[in-house]
Amino acid sequence: MKILIVEDEAKTGDYLKQGLSEAGFVVDLARDGLDGLHLALTETYDLAVLDVMLPGIDGWKVLQGIRRAGGEFPVLFLTARDGIDDRVHGLESGADDYLVKPFAFAELLARVRTLLRRGTKAREADVLRAADLEVDPLRRRVTRAGRRIDLTAREFALLELLLRRQGEVLPRSLIASQVWDMNFDSDTNVVEVAVRRLRAKIDDDFTPRLIRTVRGMGYALEAPE
Amino acid sequence: MSGRPPPAALRALNAMRGRVSITSRLTVLFALVSTVVLLALGTLIGGTVDRHFVELDVEALAGKLEQARRILERVKTEDGLPTASRRLDEALAGQRGLAVAVAAPDGRPLFATAGAEFPESLLSRATMAGDARPSRWRAGDGTPLRGISARVQSGIDGAPPMVVGVAMDISHHEHYMMNFRATLWTCMAFAALLSGFLGWLAARRGLAPLKAMKRKAENITARRLNARLAQDAVPVELADLAATLNDMLARLEESFRRLSDFSSDLAHEFRTPISNLMTQTQVTLSKPRQPDEYREVLASNVEEYERLSNMIADMLFIAKADEGRIVPTRERLDLARLVGDLVEFHRLAADEKGVVIESGGEGAIRGDPLMIRRAVGNLLSNAIRHAPPGGRVSVTIRHAAEGGTAIDVANTGEAIPEEHLPRLFDRFYRVDASRSGDGSRSGLGLAIVKSIAEAHGGNVAVTSDEGGTCFSLWVEPAA
Repeated sequence: MKILIVEDEAKTGDYLKQGLSEAGFVVDLARDGLDGLHLALTETYDLAVLDVMLPGIDGWKVLQGIRRAGGEFPVLFLTARDGIDDRVHGLESGADDYLVKPFAFAELLARVRTLLRRGTKAREADVLRAADLEVDPLRRRVTRAGRRIDLTAREFALLELLLRRQGEVLPRSLIASQVWDMNFDSDTNVVEVAVRRLRAKIDDDFTPRLIRTVRGMGYALEAPE
Repeated sequence: MSGRPPPAALRALNAMRGRVSITSRLTVLFALVSTVVLLALGTLIGGTVDRHFVELDVEALAGKLEQARRILERVKTEDGLPTASRRLDEALAGQRGLAVAVAAPDGRPLFATAGAEFPESLLSRATMAGDARPSRWRAGDGTPLRGISARVQSGIDGAPPMVVGVAMDISHHEHYMMNFRATLWTCMAFAALLSGFLGWLAARRGLAPLKAMKRKAENITARRLNARLAQDAVPVELADLAATLNDMLARLEESFRRLSDFSSDLAHEFRTPISNLMTQTQVTLSKPRQPDEYREVLASNVEEYERLSNMIADMLFIAKADEGRIVPTRERLDLARLVGDLVEFHRLAADEKGVVIESGGEGAIRGDPLMIRRAVGNLLSNAIRHAPPGGRVSVTIRHAAEGGTAIDVANTGEAIPEEHLPRLFDRFYRVDASRSGDGSRSGLGLAIVKSIAEAHGGNVAVTSDEGGTCFSLWVEPAA
């Protein structure tokens, strides 16, 4: 998967490149709009991360250029402003998602993966597995080491989310919006509690422990190698 | 006409008029008004005196005419005319400046004293009754004359009436009138000037309170916004203005106070976490450590950054709301459902703490779903945080007595001392000085609730007693 980053702020650009490279993507970094557009039109990318405020030509113009040339890959905008106007403008000009600076890297990564996954068909019917944990989304059955585990609806949704995105660190905000459909601007420890309860049911009595807390970033479900 | 822009000169004049001082305006106005009044008065007085002279002249002339008539009546034959002329001469002799002319009906002059030059128009319009309307003209030498004429029946049988004109020199009257008018207009001009000057004085004196107000206002600076203009010491007309300005000052002072509080809060709230981060990082870097230790420090830093970042976002939200730049959408919101979702979301946190959470009531409002959700969510997490283990949190939707819909979020627990209640919605306000914020992630949770309520044209209130604490979010009725 190849990602184009257009970001003029030196540190942000470098860390984004490093972070996304380490997450397994091939990353090109352009420092201004003209370079970015040039790269976008000459190379092939799966996704672009565009800063709105850029020297030369701004992010909107880069996006216009990409779309005019027939570039179909998803574009995620970064902006320092959180005005509704910007959001509307971004979505109208064909951006796929939108993050307001400062953002958490985990959040960016999760959104990038969501955008990349869009379009590829999820294999809904399959049974999801991690180590000896098995989840059947259709019949809503969970077993670990062959033992049946009863989960509440929300716990099931949470586990399914973690399993479908195995190995990814999911930030609390993403979990809240996917499982409860809640905008996570309220301050509550609900996600922590939910994860702890889920753990008590699927992890506490078993080894290996599958749900991992990544401090400062979120939670990930991973079967150890 | 109105559609056309005024010519440049007129525009310039209009612009100038806007700039002219009130004192000058009033002075010019006074001078103009008094000039007009004095002009009218002068014309009236001049005219009256003049008319008086005319009346005197006409009276004297009528007497002479009567004399002439009597003399002519005594003429019985054509031959008597020379006698009559002599008699007329005698009768009118010695009367300086008096001129008499008698003409035959056909206009032939029969008799005339020296210098008797009558205008044709006066003689031709003579009537039997005598013409009261005097005429005024100038003789060949420039002497001003006033005269009357009449038709007179002589004693000659069958002869048509003769025309008699009597005129007198009125140069002394004219002279008098000239002097009189000169004096009159000089006085009037002086009076006009004087009233202009007095008008200027009066305007200056009258506007003195304005000047005093200006001096007072000059002393008001950002540093001394608590100064106010004296409302009782100024005239009634200015009291309104003073009151309005004072209101403006009060609002400015309040804004300034909030701004300065905000800045100092900001500095204070950021100083502690940033200094913690710095110290912790520096200590970690001071000697080589195990990867786990680095990881631990970085993770704890991230948590702190997240908190700071949230705080900035919240503060920006509040600042925008204060400036009126938060414009909520107005969708119809089913509150029972919205509250139900939130309660379900927060139930886990409540369970964890052993707090029972329940909701009831229903209603609909028009509002921004994200904002209302955020406001109620903040109240809910606040209530759960402050309810004691085993306590109870209840959310009630009700129709407010004052109209509109209120959402009450109540929790059991200790009463909040009364002096804190009005300030609970201030940003970063602490009930307990040792604890940070209102316990929310940024110390801004309740301030945000207030901003959202106000952006919706509503408000938020709090009551607290031994039974617990109840926050009420009130929103305008759904239209």
